[in-house]
Amino acid sequence: MATLDWVALGPVLAPALGAVVVLVVDAAAPRLVRVHHALGLAALVVGLAVALPGAVSSTGAPVRTLCLSGRAAACLYEVGPVAAALQLGALASALVVLLLLWPDRRASLRGGPAVLVALVLAATAGASGVAAAHDLGSWLVCLELATLPVIALVALRGTTEAGRGALALLTTSLVSFALVVLGAALWLLATGQAVFAPEAVSAALDDPERRAVLLLGVLLLLAGVGFKLSLVPFHVWTPQAYAGGSEAVAAFLAATSKIAALAALVVVLQPLVLAGAPVLVAVGVVAAVTMTVGNLLALAQDDPVRLLAWSTVAQAGWVVLPLSAASPGSTAASGAYLLAYVVATLVAFVVVHVLAVGGAPRTLAASTGLLRSRPLLGGALGLALLSLAGLPPGVLGLVAKVVALRPVVAEGQWLLALVAVANAVVGIAVYLRWFAVLLRDPVAQEGVEAAQPQAGGEAPGAGPLGGRVARPVLVALVLSSGLLVATSVLPQLLLGLLE
Amino acid sequence: MVTLVALLVPAAVASWLLTAGRGLGHRAVNLLSAAAAVLSLAAVVLAVVLRPEVDRAWVPSLGLRWHLAVDGISAPLLLLTAVLGVVVVLHTRDRPPVGGTSAAFHACLLLVELGALATFLARDALLFFVSFEVVLVPMWVLITRFGDAHRPAARADAGGRFVLYTAFGSTLMLVGILALVAAAGTSDLTAMAEAGGRGIPASTQLVVAALLVAGLAVKVPVFPLHTWLPPAHTTAPTAGSVLLAAVLLKMGTYGLVRLPLATVPDGFARVAPVLGVLGAVGIVWGGLACLVERDLKRLVAYSSVAHMGFVAIGLASGTRTGLQAALFANVAHGVISALLFVVVGGLKERWGGADLETARAALREVAPRLGFALVVGFAASLGLPGLAGFWGEFLSVYSAWSPAPDRPLALFRTLAVVAALGTVLAAAYALRVLRTVWAGERRTPAIQDSRDTEWDVVVVLLVAVVALGVVPGPLLALTHDTVSLLVGAAR
Repeated sequence: MATLDWVALGPVLAPALGAVVVLVVDAAAPRLVRVHHALGLAALVVGLAVALPGAVSSTGAPVRTLCLSGRAAACLYEVGPVAAALQLGALASALVVLLLLWPDRRASLRGGPAVLVALVLAATAGASGVAAAHDLGSWLVCLELATLPVIALVALRGTTEAGRGALALLTTSLVSFALVVLGAALWLLATGQAVFAPEAVSAALDDPERRAVLLLGVLLLLAGVGFKLSLVPFHVWTPQAYAGGSEAVAAFLAATSKIAALAALVVVLQPLVLAGAPVLVAVGVVAAVTMTVGNLLALAQDDPVRLLAWSTVAQAGWVVLPLSAASPGSTAASGAYLLAYVVATLVAFVVVHVLAVGGAPRTLAASTGLLRSRPLLGGALGLALLSLAGLPPGVLGLVAKVVALRPVVAEGQWLLALVAVANAVVGIAVYLRWFAVLLRDPVAQEGVEAAQPQAGGEAPGAGPLGGRVARPVLVALVLSSGLLVATSVLPQLLLGLLE
Repeated sequence: MVTLVALLVPAAVASWLLTAGRGLGHRAVNLLSAAAAVLSLAAVVLAVVLRPEVDRAWVPSLGLRWHLAVDGISAPLLLLTAVLGVVVVLHTRDRPPVGGTSAAFHACLLLVELGALATFLARDALLFFVSFEVVLVPMWVLITRFGDAHRPAARADAGGRFVLYTAFGSTLMLVGILALVAAAGTSDLTAMAEAGGRGIPASTQLVVAALLVAGLAVKVPVFPLHTWLPPAHTTAPTAGSVLLAAVLLKMGTYGLVRLPLATVPDGFARVAPVLGVLGAVGIVWGGLACLVERDLKRLVAYSSVAHMGFVAIGLASGTRTGLQAALFANVAHGVISALLFVVVGGLKERWGGADLETARAALREVAPRLGFALVVGFAASLGLPGLAGFWGEFLSVYSAWSPAPDRPLALFRTLAVVAALGTVLAAAYALRVLRTVWAGERRTPAIQDSRDTEWDVVVVLLVAVVALGVVPGPLLALTHDTVSLLVGAAR
């Protein structure tokens, strides 16, 4: 076994190096605005290209590198199927976000493109790294690397609302960092080693004195990561930060950041799941409360971004739901649910981004009649919403619900399952409320555009999109909604990654 | 292969209509949909004759397979669905939908048909669940978008209620299915039916059966969970009401047979008395509601609740006769309610409302065809011998009188008596409707009688109602073998 495997490290190194290169290029030639973005995209594509073979053809055996003395337990970097799939998801979602951030005539974020691209790449490197981190040190560093740049991304919008959102995010991150560090210290104290190893954890769990310390440490880690994953009661920053940042940044928060947070949680909980620790009850309670609060508040939102923010909270509950069951497949189930959610929510954010062009007010009413006036956008958003609701034709979301419920039911946690059932119903109400707006008659002035596809038949062009959409955004839309359609027809494409 | 054609044709045509074919005119859309529905019907007939089996992996990590097959229980329902799929498209020919594009309307009809066919064909428990969910969104669109044009608020309310209630039921069912699959170690319905619940501990069987029955009872609907049905029926367009009553409700009863009754018979035996009691309450409740209901469409919806009560009692009795009765009543109710909704929906269009208190011209005088169809429909609905409704309800009461040995005899005899009294209620409300709507001398305001495709559709349904009543043999024979297999495995 090599102690330094560059290819295995590729998914982390590619975005990290990309960030550095972008900054260097910016220092040398600050006028080359689009080159920065192109470089950023290239870095992510390289990362994806390196990660893809490992994720697709994974034999189940984890790839390890950065091993200290050749012992398997002492490797600092370990990529199993779940981690590989999460890395892939982080890189792909960052790619979509970067396409949305492509500079155009529209008033962009402050700080210049190079800073934006570098921040996105750095956070992505952190997300990709935390999934593979196998020791407390790199885990902590990567987790913070995934978080801190996002605060800047929110703040760079420059509005008062953005400042408030960034402040909320900053405060949250600091508290969360404090909790995580304390938790890590207790973990180190209890297990005696800085590496996440199941054996050390079970040894610590068997010893009553160390057991209490370890469980307290895990609870603190859980709380710290809970902030990042928007779990109730650590969720309050979510709507503020989402609404404060631009739609693209909100998409990053909803997709890449959530992947980072879940990856961090999985790394911590994996040894505990294998040991069947009692902390998992806490996870179940948090999941139930989170999905309930998120869904109920999402029902009352009128700003699509805020609605998607509360929907993130609700879906975060679903994401951690399977983790409450101490079965070997539960981390894979959790990862699968998250990736399904990320695909659907990215599509929704891309469409919201397109609709918000020109500073139109962000309300649900802005998408009135979208299915008829701008069929392509409306269709993509409609499919995304149905997928989030878990109703066919959004088969991906439906299958994800099955995947998430399966470990819970198999463990016989009926109460939790019933809470989930109730939430599935409320969730449907949340998304159908928006879907019904898409389905309404288009507002009067859209009449001309609505008539176009009827006359032109299948002719492509402005008809189905109903207006100018910047080419990179179009690429983002096609990529994300294409993925959503493909995984809805063949959910195995996504679920297979995690096996 | 044939089964795949039956599913793929409506799926492909519906997706085309929703994407590229959006701008097509009503006639063209209708013709295309009719062609798809007829092709699908032909494939279903072939499938019922040939009994092919398809088994392909779809989502291996969940064990979800495209496992499709036809047997005696599903064959009648498949035929019913495919026939009604053609019927609703034909019925739409002369009435371009209001509220949205014709393409979307037809796509929704085809998607509902697709979901129902897939549900009846599915032999994998998880595929059954997925197919079960397919009908929700198109039906919701039909209700909220194309329903009663006068009352948008009522449409939104009815559609929302429909989706939320039935989604609650099906998610509950999903929990039951997952528990069942975890306990049985397979999601293959045929294998689980053959095992007949052996190897699953009694307590697990009870939990699974309770979850499945509770979940499916929403769809059927069984008494306290029926409140979504009347508003949905009242506001849905006629084609939607027909599909709702004749196809969607059947998915619930079919699910009860296929899932709890076949796979966890011991657990189902313990839940059955509750189901039976609720069925009997539904019969009486539905009958009483019909006696006072002022809206004709809503009245027919409440009568559905009563009829589904008979099906529930038949299923609960646990005998071969009971199961046969339930399956027969299922199909009979499908045909009768389709007929009634076509007629009543047509009347509502002509009258501009369906309030029974408004004075109107007597159908006997101004619209003899519609009047005749209404009389036959209500006569069948009250269970008159010689018409479709009789056999299912008669056999169902009979099976409740002599239930399976492990059922509480006194309770089921009481249920039989209550159900028999329920038929009296049915007679009462049927006569009430016919007296107000059909009989009388009044000739104003005149309405147009049924003709063209509407009349064709009515004739087809009338023939079916009479045929099922006069010659019940073929249908009973079709279900006989499979039913014996199921009840045999349960013993």
